[in-house]
Formats: sequence, structure tokens, C-alpha cells
Amino acid sequence: MIKLQEHKASIQPIESKLKISILEDEEIRQINQSTRTVLEEVGVVFPSEKALNIFAEVGANVDFNNQVVKIPAHLLDKYLATSPRTYTMAGRRPDLDVNIGNGEGTYYYCSGEAPKIVDFNTGERRLSVKQDIANHARIADYLPIISLLWPTVSASDKGVTSPLHGLEACFNNTEKHVETESVMDQISARYSVEMAIAIAGSEENLRDRPILSQLLCCIAPLAQDRGGIEAAMVFTEYGIPVGLMSMPTLGLTAPPYPAGALTLAMAETLSGIMLTQIINPGVGNYISVNPGIVDPRTGSYFMGSGVAQITNVAAVQMAHSNGIPVLACHSFGGSQYKLGNWQAGYENFYSHFLAVMAGADMSFGPSGMYEAVSLLDHPRILFDREILRVIDDVTNGIEVNPKTLSFDMIKQIGQTGSYICHKETAKAYRSIWPWESILYEDGAAEGRKWRDPVEVARETISWILENHKPESLPEDVKQEVRKIVAAADKDEDLKKEVRGHK
Amino acid sequence: MSEEIYQKLAQAVIDGELEDAEALAKQALELGLEPLDCINKGLTKGIQRVGELFADGECYLPELVLSAEAMKVALNVLEPAMLGGKQRETVGKVVLGTVQGDLHQIGKNLVGSMLIANGFHVIDIGVDTPTSEFIKAIKENDATIVGASALLTTTMMEQKKLIDAIEEAGLREQVKVMVGGAPVNQDYAEQIGADGYAEDAVSAVNLAFRLVDAPK
Repeated sequence: MIKLQEHKASIQPIESKLKISILEDEEIRQINQSTRTVLEEVGVVFPSEKALNIFAEVGANVDFNNQVVKIPAHLLDKYLATSPRTYTMAGRRPDLDVNIGNGEGTYYYCSGEAPKIVDFNTGERRLSVKQDIANHARIADYLPIISLLWPTVSASDKGVTSPLHGLEACFNNTEKHVETESVMDQISARYSVEMAIAIAGSEENLRDRPILSQLLCCIAPLAQDRGGIEAAMVFTEYGIPVGLMSMPTLGLTAPPYPAGALTLAMAETLSGIMLTQIINPGVGNYISVNPGIVDPRTGSYFMGSGVAQITNVAAVQMAHSNGIPVLACHSFGGSQYKLGNWQAGYENFYSHFLAVMAGADMSFGPSGMYEAVSLLDHPRILFDREILRVIDDVTNGIEVNPKTLSFDMIKQIGQTGSYICHKETAKAYRSIWPWESILYEDGAAEGRKWRDPVEVARETISWILENHKPESLPEDVKQEVRKIVAAADKDEDLKKEVRGHK
Repeated sequence: MSEEIYQKLAQAVIDGELEDAEALAKQALELGLEPLDCINKGLTKGIQRVGELFADGECYLPELVLSAEAMKVALNVLEPAMLGGKQRETVGKVVLGTVQGDLHQIGKNLVGSMLIANGFHVIDIGVDTPTSEFIKAIKENDATIVGASALLTTTMMEQKKLIDAIEEAGLREQVKVMVGGAPVNQDYAEQIGADGYAEDAVSAVNLAFRLVDAPK
């Protein structure tokens, strides 16, 4: 293990010189066309009276009885035009800002909201609790590869207000941008906004620098969740960015073909984005398409297949062709549980490699997840980090210019000489040797020996949990946030809203 | 003639041909065939074959689901025509539902299809189902197994409430309870007093066979 040092939170996107395209321009045009036809002729279910009224007011074809919204293409494109291609998801400090679309590369999430965790001390699989969220947020705060995070597990000890406790645990343990994907009702959304205002200092500050965002998962095929979409409407009101995710399961909740699944996914996400743009033109959005497939022999949900990954990466082109940023890649969680297993390794490598090269604005990155993002194991996050370390290196590509062509060096060294003592070599090695591995380096030149990375990962996590002290919120703000969550815990309307949520 | 119809019914199920299965069932009734024979000698034979093919990896889930659907449409024609309170033979009767507050249905539906394909009679009571609906369905159908699905940490406690309600209704001796869903595991199942937990559709079928003590 390299010698770890305490440091303040920082973020590090990965920029790729290598580029790939999955779809040709004509194929993109066809999927976009088909998406618009689906929205015009089939429509999307919005089970919210408020949302239906908003669509009707701007001229969409709304069937109030069946809660189906059909959207003419010209109307869709009118509202998509105000969704920004570049915007900021703010950290608590400007140097932690995620500047989407500004060419800095792909930013990585620590995501999840898994219901279960491998207990770090006992190794037992158990339901996750609030303290687990706090611990993982602290680990994510320490690792620069992570730019923004979700509460990575559920606070199962907190009942229906678990999403709010999750946010509190994150705000108290990281300065990085925090996103929720489990606030799925309008009352919890208002409490979340209250927390964000308390931390930002004022509503105006929050609008200016949103330290919170929401990811809303659509219901495939072609439906939105009532509570979720009503929460999104609240966030949108306050200028909080809202990402829309579609999770088509090929052959189950979507056509079995990637092109059809993409069509469906774009219809779901774009219809949601249109709603947010009607409410607050210019509010930040992104699209995420995370396909899965059913293991046809067992019925298990399976994230790690090649067809699902290629569909996911094709969505980068689809989102960008509509002028919307994209959050790609859903692996780091597809494999069955075994810390450091080879299947997890290759799945994660190729899916992230493709996403970076496709130019994703953000990607689900090191999270520590297994089993279709249903199980967290803290040390796994370091294995994920190692994979991105290699990807960062490879995607730098090769620089070709007079300096790197090295003619002068070649001439100077001539035949049978060595380049090791050349000044240029000494300088170049600073950049060509990849950034440090935590798991495979012991840092000491003498007596260097291989150690089991699983063991090293456990030591590293212990070190981080013991030594990393994230910059905490001012005490009065912390107390204010506590009060807001405590009030939510006692809110009977919130309980009714969550339980009655259909 | 009757043998030919039975065989065609079996084949319609094997091929997952819904329209054929329904038309053949109607034809069988028009010809005056005994509905129970059509089920036992036709549909059940077909679905058993599908179950074998699935177990051998020669048939995939989408094909199996189509076969189960074909069986269902034919049963919808044949069962109402059964006279004198006759009932088809099944491995067991399973009431299946997603608990209150939870709208997830995919896992439950897959389990349902798999159980049908393996000879169980499945009564699917849908999603967001109050405990009282489960109890009602158990009583009305004289069920032997209840399957409760929960995909959220906020709804998994409904599974415990259901078990408590089954106790209260005096039905605990009659039905075995199996639970499933992402946040649920074997430990939790034991903790709430369920009879078993299954992590996917195939395991759910194996569990159901164990619970009714029937050979698979």
C-alpha cells in the first residue's frame, strides 16, 4: 500500500484522447425520429394531476383518464432547446464543482443506494444503516476520482425518511456534490431543499450554486413514478438539476433489440426533461440509460452483459444528439459477490473504457457495489479505483510532436546507448508512469513484495475511516439540518404521502 | 379425435401459441370433451415438457413465459366448464402478490410463470396489495403457499405484517410463506418467521416444491 496522507477533498475527472462512436449519424437520426413518433403516437404515463395539467397547458395531447401524455415533436424540441448542454453541479467549494460539458472529461459518481452491505468488521451481509452511509461518504470524500455522490446505501434503520437521513449523512461527511435518487415524493423533496438551503446559506445561493441534484428513475416501459415526478417538480422549481434515468431491461420492460430499447429510453427521459423545462427553463438535466437483461435460465436481473453495456454507451451519442449531457455506465456492480473477482474486473474495465471514450459527461464510477448494485462492500471501491487508474492512463493515447518524436535524443544516444540517464527521460517518467496504485504498491523500494490486494484494501479503508476528517459543516448549520430531518421524522403527512404513493 | 386434441393442446403450450391454445380449448368443449381431461392430458403434459426443457437449458425464460400464458388462456376457457366442483390436480396453490406500498411486479410475475410451468396453480393478486387482500385470497382459494414480494427497504416490513396477519387469521398451519425481493435475504426471512426465501425465479420454484413437500 502506498503511504496515505491526509488531504482535503478534491476531484479528478478523466479526459480521453481516444474517441469511439457506437452509432453512425444516420442511425442516431433514425432512433431520434422513432423516439418522437413513440412520444406522438404512444405517449408516456404521468400519474400526477399537476404534471398532466402542465403538459396540457403547453399544448400536449393529454388523456386525463389514462394519465397518458402524447407529445408532438415540435413541442418536445421547443422545450428541449432550453435544457443546457453545460452547467455546474456545485460542490461546497468552487474547486469541487462538477462543470458539466466544459470539456474537462468524465466525472465519476459514487452511487448505489443498495439495501445491503458487507459489514466491514464481521464480514456478515446485513441491511445497511445510516452510519454505513456516513462511512462510505467519508471514503468517497477522500478519493479524488470521485466527484459527486449519492447516499450509497439505504438507512434501513430510519424508515420512510431514510432518503433524508441519507442526505444528512452525506452532507455531514463530504464537501462534494450530493445527489439523491431515493427522494420520491414532494414532501421529502421540500425537506431536501430546506436542507440544501441551510447549507448553501440562502435560496439564492442554492439557485446560483446547486449543491444538490436529483436523479429520477423512470418506470419502463413508458411511465413515470407519481411521487418521483412530483419530487422532480419541486427540485426544478428551486433550480436544482434533475437527471432522468431509464432502465430498460431488454426483452422484459423494453424491446429485446438495443435500438428499440434506446428509443424507449429516450422517450421516457426526454418527456421528463420537457416537464422540467416547462417549469423552469434552463434548469440542468442529464440523461442516463442503464439497460439490463434477464438471465434467461434463472430470471435473475443481469447488468453485466455486453449487449447492455453497448446500449448504455450508445446512449451517450443519443443524449448528446439532443443537446443533453449524459451520465453513462452502470457497472461497478454487475457481478456476483466476491471481493476482487475477475468477472467484476473485466466487466468494469470494458464498460468504463467504452464510456470514457464515448465522451460521457459523467459516469457511475467507483462505488464498491456488487450484485446489480444491491450490495456494498467498502474495500471494493479501491478495486474500482484501480480500474479507472488504468483507463485514465490508456485514454491519454499517444502524443505525437517534434518533442515526442525524439529525433534529437535518438541522434544523441546513437547506437547501443541507454536512454535512462537522459534528462528528458527523467522528466518524461514523471508523466508516463501511471498515477499511484493503492493496492499493488508498497511504496518502499527495498523489500518490495506482492501482498494480497484484498488485505491491502481492508487496511486502506481502515486508515481512511480512522484518519480522514472531511471539512465539517459549521455547527449551527449542522444543527439546522438535524432539526429539518427530525421534523421530517415526525411529519405524518410525509408518511402518508410515501405510503400512499402509487 | 380426443387424443389428437389433447396432443394439439400440449403442443400449443410447448410452442407458446396463445391463440391456438384458446381456439383448441374452445374446440374441445364444442366437441364435448371433458375439460379436466383436456387439462390433465393436454395442457399439463405440455407445460411439464416445457419445464423439462427449461431445466435442461433448451428453453429460455421468454419461451417459458409464453408457454405459461398459453396455458392460462386455455385454462380460462376450460376451468369454468368443469362441473360438479371438480378441480384440476396441481402441485399446490400459490397466492402471489407484491406487498402494500410497493409497485414492483417483474420479479413476482417471473416467479408466477415459473410456478405455473412447474405445475402449481398460481393466484396472482397483483402489486401494492394490502394484507387483507392476501388473507382473502388464501381463504377463497384454499391456498397452500403464499409468496410475498418486496423490493424496497421501506416495504419489506409488510412481509412481517402479512405473516402476523396470517397467524391472527388462524391460517398459519394451512399456508407456507415464502418471501423475496432485493432487500430480503435468508436471515431476514427467518427473523420474520417466513418459511423460506428465494433469490430468483428458479430458486423460488425449488423452494415451493420443498414447502409442499413434493418431489420436483
